[in-house]
Amino acid sequence: MDAVTIDRASKRFGDEFALTDVTISVREGTILGIIGPSGAGKTTLVRLMTGALAPTEGEIRVMGEDPLRFKRRTRERVGYMPQSFALYPDLTTRENVDFVASLFGLLWWRRRRRTRQVLETVDLWSVRDRRAGKLSGGMQRRLELASALVHDPAILFLDEPTAGIDPLLRTTIWEELSRLRDDGRTLLVTTQYVGEAERCDAVLLISDGRVIAAGTPDELRRTAIGGDIVEVETAGPIDTSVFRQVEGVGRIEQRGPNQVRITVSDAATMLPEIVEAITSAGGEVATAAEARPSYDEVFAILVERSRAAQPKPQDGEEQAA
Amino acid sequence: MRAILTVIWRLLAFVGKELVETLRRPGAILSLILGPFLIMAIFGAGFNGIRRELETIVVVPTSDQLPTEASDYQELAGPALHIADVVQDRAEAEARLRAGEVDVVVVAPEDPEGAFRAGKRSTIEIVVDEVDPVAENYATILGSTLANAVNQRIIERAVEEGEGYALAAAQAQASAIPADVVSAPTEARLMNLAPQAPTVTSFFGPAVLALILQHLAVTLVSMSLVRERSSGVMELFRISPVTASEVLTGKVLAFGLLGFVVAGLTMVLLVNVLGVPSIADTGSLALVFGLLLLASLGLGLLIAVVSDSERQAVQLALLTLLASVFFSGFVLSIDQFTPPVRALAYALPVTHGIRLLQDLMLRGTTNNLWEFGALVAIAAVTLVAAWALLRRNMRTA
Repeated sequence: MDAVTIDRASKRFGDEFALTDVTISVREGTILGIIGPSGAGKTTLVRLMTGALAPTEGEIRVMGEDPLRFKRRTRERVGYMPQSFALYPDLTTRENVDFVASLFGLLWWRRRRRTRQVLETVDLWSVRDRRAGKLSGGMQRRLELASALVHDPAILFLDEPTAGIDPLLRTTIWEELSRLRDDGRTLLVTTQYVGEAERCDAVLLISDGRVIAAGTPDELRRTAIGGDIVEVETAGPIDTSVFRQVEGVGRIEQRGPNQVRITVSDAATMLPEIVEAITSAGGEVATAAEARPSYDEVFAILVERSRAAQPKPQDGEEQAA
Repeated sequence: MRAILTVIWRLLAFVGKELVETLRRPGAILSLILGPFLIMAIFGAGFNGIRRELETIVVVPTSDQLPTEASDYQELAGPALHIADVVQDRAEAEARLRAGEVDVVVVAPEDPEGAFRAGKRSTIEIVVDEVDPVAENYATILGSTLANAVNQRIIERAVEEGEGYALAAAQAQASAIPADVVSAPTEARLMNLAPQAPTVTSFFGPAVLALILQHLAVTLVSMSLVRERSSGVMELFRISPVTASEVLTGKVLAFGLLGFVVAGLTMVLLVNVLGVPSIADTGSLALVFGLLLLASLGLGLLIAVVSDSERQAVQLALLTLLASVFFSGFVLSIDQFTPPVRALAYALPVTHGIRLLQDLMLRGTTNNLWEFGALVAIAAVTLVAAWALLRRNMRTA
């Protein structure tokens, strides 16, 4: 069952569209990574799904309800971590989490236990009596994450939860997010760290307010590259024309006298055929393996491709800011 | 049952959070209390106002054939007194004075002629019901002026009648009349019906307390809400099950409680350290504190929801303080303002708070019961407006 469905939703602020024609669905019990550069429209999309913003066009359903008309009980099942620090600097770590737990209707006997649990999860239990204003930036993000988790929500909207957090702790947080997903919760996570896409079940790439790609991380990689990539290094100079004889070979990129990068439809089945083609042509293969381009590369390719596909403004027509 | 518990729990969460946050900024509380004193001192030093004419009743003795038309006494009274009525029943005049219908009762002496013949000076009694020491002094001066006018009139008549009115009236006993009685046959004596002798401290103490409470409530609650609006916490409120009414009720309870504590402590200081008398009963005082705080919190919340930023809220809170010092009757009597400005004065909770606290603490009662209603009205209007605006704000953008 889908936890979230969005059908052709757009959001306009004044004359400017922050989001255009977004259509997605998110299955229950999965992590959707919403990835895009700063100003792409990630936060706007999250705010539309939480009901903090109304769409200019289109329809949004979260847990079967219109977010603008969430029932109180439904709201108690939604967790939200905003992008900027939005807690109370004069309250301690524990008091902040305790306050948010109260907002979401947790009574004292459950609140006390949950507060400890979530603070331990984000490794803040040791600083539970320190004022939030005295915490480091990373600690404050973790405190907000703890606050978003404290009422054990069924669906979680996390706006850049790992921003400003060191890589080690980012790993811990993603492990916790994965655990929540395994418990059946649905998570929608925005991030600027493209590499974090790998940890998601599905990824939504947004740029300039438009969805430029959606799918599993592998699907996205294949969409960007046009298949799999095989990297070959030979003992001597290589004539790339030998690869044209192999069926299923796409782009061929000469990266040095002895190095070549080949896009193929399926690396697993085609790698032996490529090695055979080199050997048949009298060459000697030094190394040959499937290469996995980073998500930074994948993201850059998809964004460039999307921008190239956009209609260019006519002369005298101003490009929207 | 669970729903009720969660609502109560949310409210308590707000109360706890607000109190803890506020108490952890003792410097802010200190400046909030000291700030108004400083401003008031500067303004008070530079004030020089002109009073309205005082409504006056003249009591003439039943035995005398003195005129009973107000116009007959107006010339003697001068421009500072307006003779509203001339009566023969002193008790009735004093009752009207206590009810606040008039400002002064002038009691003409009984048989001044007989007293004069006997070589005694007659006394014109000036009766007021004032807790304001400035007003009491003013009445004393007016009484002396009136006595001088009467004396002048007697002397003028003496000169006009050749042998002199005074000698003719005294006839054979004329030689026994002391010279000072001849020169000033009457004197003024002030009598104040108020149960407390007015002093500057006793009069301004309750006013300062009212001003502190309003300023404390307006500033704390507006800063608290506007900070939440600008920090992004409001985004969390929007998404959570909390409602605008729960947010406002939590804040009103928290800062109301804090205001009551400040009011109690300030009362203790006023009475025990500054020696301000208080004959008010605890229930009435608590009612005034409660309504004053409620109306002030409503005003503060309204300031917070109409402000774009913390800076704007601070400016509006300061403007409210300035307006309160100028127009609330704290220094200048409200009667000295034009009706539109008077309307502004009545829109400020502190205007009613000052009057009620002064009346209750210094008289033990008040004739201005409508001011309780005014505080309720201000609280209702501001809280409903703040709730409506916050509700809209918490809805989807």
